[in-house]
Amino acid sequence: MEVFSQVRELGPKSEGGWASGKLRLTLLISFGGLLALMVVAGLEALRLARQLHTQEEAIRQTFLAHTQPLLFLSTSIYIYNDRIQEYLMSQEPQADGLTPEEFSRLTAEINSTLRKYPENRQPEERALLESLQQMFTEQQGMLNPVLLWSREERHKQALHFLNEEVLPQRLRIHETAEKIGLWNNQQLVAADREMFASFAILQARQTRLLAIALTAGLVLSLASILYLLRLGEEAQRRYQELARSRGELEALSAQLVDAQETERRSISRELHDEVGQSLGALLVEVGRLAASVPSDNTQIKDHVDKIKSVAETTVQTVRNIALLLRPSMLDDLGLIAALEWQGREVSRRSEMEVEIQSGNGAEKIPDEYSICIYRLVQEALNNAARHSSAKNARVTVEQTANKILVCVFDDGRGFDPQRVRGLGILGMEERVRRLGGMFTIDSKPGGGTTLRAEFPLSPLNQERP
Amino acid sequence: MKSIRVLLADDHKLIRAGLRLVVDQQPDLSVVGEADDGRQAVELAKSLKPNVVVMDIGMPNLNGIEAARQIGEMDPGAAVVMLSMHSDESYVLRALSAGARAYLLKDSATTDLVQAIHAVAEGKSFFSPAVSKVLLQDYMRKLRRSGAEDSYDLLSPRERGVLQLVAEGKSNKEVASLLNLSVYTVETHRAKIMQKLNLKGVPELILYAVRKGIIS
Repeated sequence: MEVFSQVRELGPKSEGGWASGKLRLTLLISFGGLLALMVVAGLEALRLARQLHTQEEAIRQTFLAHTQPLLFLSTSIYIYNDRIQEYLMSQEPQADGLTPEEFSRLTAEINSTLRKYPENRQPEERALLESLQQMFTEQQGMLNPVLLWSREERHKQALHFLNEEVLPQRLRIHETAEKIGLWNNQQLVAADREMFASFAILQARQTRLLAIALTAGLVLSLASILYLLRLGEEAQRRYQELARSRGELEALSAQLVDAQETERRSISRELHDEVGQSLGALLVEVGRLAASVPSDNTQIKDHVDKIKSVAETTVQTVRNIALLLRPSMLDDLGLIAALEWQGREVSRRSEMEVEIQSGNGAEKIPDEYSICIYRLVQEALNNAARHSSAKNARVTVEQTANKILVCVFDDGRGFDPQRVRGLGILGMEERVRRLGGMFTIDSKPGGGTTLRAEFPLSPLNQERP
Repeated sequence: MKSIRVLLADDHKLIRAGLRLVVDQQPDLSVVGEADDGRQAVELAKSLKPNVVVMDIGMPNLNGIEAARQIGEMDPGAAVVMLSMHSDESYVLRALSAGARAYLLKDSATTDLVQAIHAVAEGKSFFSPAVSKVLLQDYMRKLRRSGAEDSYDLLSPRERGVLQLVAEGKSNKEVASLLNLSVYTVETHRAKIMQKLNLKGVPELILYAVRKGIIS
């Protein structure tokens, strides 16, 4: 029974440890993996977004760098031409403001604007710029002699010169500038288109990554679910196995207890009926022999007395053995009387006084409970008398409508039930549990011991006499 | 001389044979029947009307105690001598409660049986000396351990006299005439004895008397 209890205590603990360890590992791997995938996908998305943003910013900067000088150039050329027109149309001998100095200042301004145009020029762009520059140089060359004209010359030729030379040239310059602007716009559109294309590529990459992450997550969680299910099944199977083997052990120990009782009863009966009765008859015969011996024949009388005394001792011994095996008072007088007898037996042998208290219905306790309670009380009283140096012990037995309650108290030195669990206690527990009862020990060092057994009664049991 | 009719009840033939030899040796005793178990003992008691039934306590079918109770209810004139292997109080008290007047240990049956049969036939009680000894020892041990005083000292001399006569099996009327008292006074004494000694009923009173060695 010692071994049984160890199986009972160790079994579930190691089972739980095994299952929870594997479970923890599985959860860690599956959810850790999922989390890692998500982090990777998120970081990648962030990086791509930043990259797109940088690209877009670069395109905008390039466009601005190209269009701004162009705008400035257009304005400068416009002012330049305006001034020239003004000068040519003026009737004043010395035209206002347009001195050769101012002329060369305006020219220098336009030239510097042209130089400010960003260096990273495409071939087409460069060609346009160069033609623009050339046109401007031509115009300058054309205008230089005009500045030296007299008032009359100006008056005579200004209109013609303006219409034939300056305006067409000015138109051409503007056209070229427009062309450059247009080209820049085209470049912007192209860059935008390129960016959209790369954005689409990025989007596709992102989608692919997400799909991979999702699929991996799905596979991972499916695998985890399957594994967990298998783990659960395994645990369930092991539990059932354990429960079954525990049930078998309990059945076996119940059978052992039953077999022990049956065996004891039959040996006791045998001793009582055969050996006991033969010895009893022998005693009667010896008694008669003693009576028939003449009182003056002391030698024979001594012999007969000796035989009688040996026979008496033997009878007593056999009777004690039979009683130990099966208390005949349980059959003759019932449980309470048997307990009272047991209590007095313990009192006679030890320093402990035993009191038996029985409540209502205690006389009608069914037989299978009687023997169990008897053995329980016997063990408890013997333990108390042997180990606890108790002065008093009290046994109470009560039967109510639906249960039997047995308590054994003693005022001895007590013990720690968590640590001390002898075979005797296990045996008591086994007997009680076999009948579906509950067994508890309440004790602490120095505080006496209370032992309780409670048996539920089915209506069937109560009706039995 | 008037013969005393004896019925023997024991489930063991050898024992019955031995007892029969002892009884038959006495001129004033005669065995009128033998029973194998309690049920047969009750039936034979009914048909044979014995004066004394000598009965083993542990018998199959119906044990000696139940059989004694049934015989007592059926025929109060039949006195029961109980035979037992146990000198324990539980047995003695239950045997007395069932109506037995004598209680013998089987070990000493041959020595004491004749004396016991004569005693119960006269309406007296009888207990094997070994039984009285065990009962007294148990009682003394209990007194010593509990530290209580002997309740016998609480009784007046008159009450002690009444106790002995009642324990011997005398009725209130017999006690009254023996002690020259009225029946009412005897009843009062009895009630006081029961109260002082904390006893319930005549069987416990007899048991007490045996323990104290007042009767044997």
